[in-house]
Amino acid sequence: MSPTTRTSGESSNYEYVVARVRARRAALFDEDDYRKLVRMGTSEIARFMEETEYEREMNDLGARYSGVDLIEYALTRNMAKHFEDLLRWAEGGLYENVARYLRRFDAWNVKTILRGIYSGADAEAIESDLIKAGELTEATLDRLAAKESIEGVIEGLDGTIFHEPLEAALDDFEVEELLVPLENAVDRTFYEKLMEGLPDAQSADRATQLYLEFLRAEIDFRNLRNALRIARSGADIDPSEYYIEGGTLFDAEEVRQLAGDTDQLVDHVRDSEYGEDLEAAIDDLEAAADLIGFEHALDAALLEYADTLSYRYPVSITAVLSYILAKEREIDNIRAIARGRESGLGLDEIERDLVML
Amino acid sequence: MAQDVKPTRKNLMQIEDRIELSERGHDTLEKKRDGLIMEFMDILDQAQDVRADLEDTYEDAQERIDMARAMDGDVAVRGAAAALKEHPEISTQSKNIMGVVVPQIESTKVRKSLDERGYGVLGTSARIDEVAESYEKLLEQIILAAEVETAMKELLEEIETTKRRVNALEFTLLPQLNENKEYIEQKLEEQEREEIFRMKKIKANKEAAEKEEREAAREAEQAATQ
Repeated sequence: MSPTTRTSGESSNYEYVVARVRARRAALFDEDDYRKLVRMGTSEIARFMEETEYEREMNDLGARYSGVDLIEYALTRNMAKHFEDLLRWAEGGLYENVARYLRRFDAWNVKTILRGIYSGADAEAIESDLIKAGELTEATLDRLAAKESIEGVIEGLDGTIFHEPLEAALDDFEVEELLVPLENAVDRTFYEKLMEGLPDAQSADRATQLYLEFLRAEIDFRNLRNALRIARSGADIDPSEYYIEGGTLFDAEEVRQLAGDTDQLVDHVRDSEYGEDLEAAIDDLEAAADLIGFEHALDAALLEYADTLSYRYPVSITAVLSYILAKEREIDNIRAIARGRESGLGLDEIERDLVML
Repeated sequence: MAQDVKPTRKNLMQIEDRIELSERGHDTLEKKRDGLIMEFMDILDQAQDVRADLEDTYEDAQERIDMARAMDGDVAVRGAAAALKEHPEISTQSKNIMGVVVPQIESTKVRKSLDERGYGVLGTSARIDEVAESYEKLLEQIILAAEVETAMKELLEEIETTKRRVNALEFTLLPQLNENKEYIEQKLEEQEREEIFRMKKIKANKEAAEKEEREAAREAEQAATQ
């Protein structure tokens, strides 16, 4: 991808990576751990974490942060460590497939750096918010965070997938003086590159076909979220501008037509291949216009789908993908519990709204 | 002090004029005070509603940001907030309520559409939209509360000032003027009585002198005839 990222022409080492991933997956928190956590206060959660997988990060960051901030930073650093390991272990095509999914963290980091520089934050503050789990190396990210201008960051990204789209969006940024075009360019690049270079569904083996299906579902769900958000906001935005190619749920023209009418959009989803999996969430969305609950359901559906794939083709990219999602979910769950307890949410509320056990 | 006033007719007339003016002013100020109090009661009701809405909106915004920090993470929420540098614009004009100048606050660019909030749509969630929306609403409520509560404060100050003026007229100036008037009237009456007494005395003296003259003339006449 760039001098800052690793390229590989070797053959894939699925057995080795999947074996290690299975071991790590087994060490993730289970339902009992979550049940214990939701009954703890924030300091008890921190103590509990010090006795688990997160011990090292909690100790390393203990001098800089405290309370729930310490928990949140420890969680993301631990996640970054695990995902870095995946990239270190994987070779050949497996590396490419893992890296293309983990570039979401590169996108996150690029956006965080752009936001930091835009708002005048110092390099140290920006670096603390980075999640070093993607392909961009720590040195590259630190160098980018130390840049003094947006243009400097874009220049520093030369050789990466984000450079050209950001340069193209720079004019809009300069006219509007808003980060929206740059952030959209970064996210759009990530999604568009997700399926680039993968074989056709017809010519691919069964595991790759399922991987493609998963990525398509991810893109479809992203398009669906965006269409619903735009429809709900009532803003004069052309939904097709935010449309990402690669999904099967709708094309750009359909999105333009459907985003104006939420009922039609919901009917379209109900009649699609996702209709059955999302039935309950669609009913809730229609009854209460609860978009957040619907997004929650989309996340749950994607997680469940990845999980199913990992059991069907245990020695393939799907097992790694399933682990990535499960690890992310663990981070989200622990953070949700800690933040929920910090803000005084009740036990039922946390269990119902925040944590998907 | 009544004793400091010269008890002259001119002063009495001046004091009477001042009393009349003060009584008229007192009536006008009383009416102004009552009018201001009525306006204040209206604004107080409005301010109580605005304050209650503000508290509800604040609680709602706080709840949403807590949920967003829990679900999307504190870093994501802070990041989305940092993606916008532009501040809302606030301008103040003034309006007049019964002579009291109160501010009228106009705000622009508080409510923003999805593509004006700075953060990208593709990489964020509906939860962030809801937080942004609820804080925009909160900011509007704060601006409204600032306008209404400042007007209330200005009205309250004016009511206090008017009340002090009414009281000063009612309990200090008018009693003092009336006292002065009474003092001058008493003094003038006294002077009048003295004048009458003096005139009577002069008249009596004059009559006595005339009587004496007449008696002396009679005696002289009697002496001449003998």
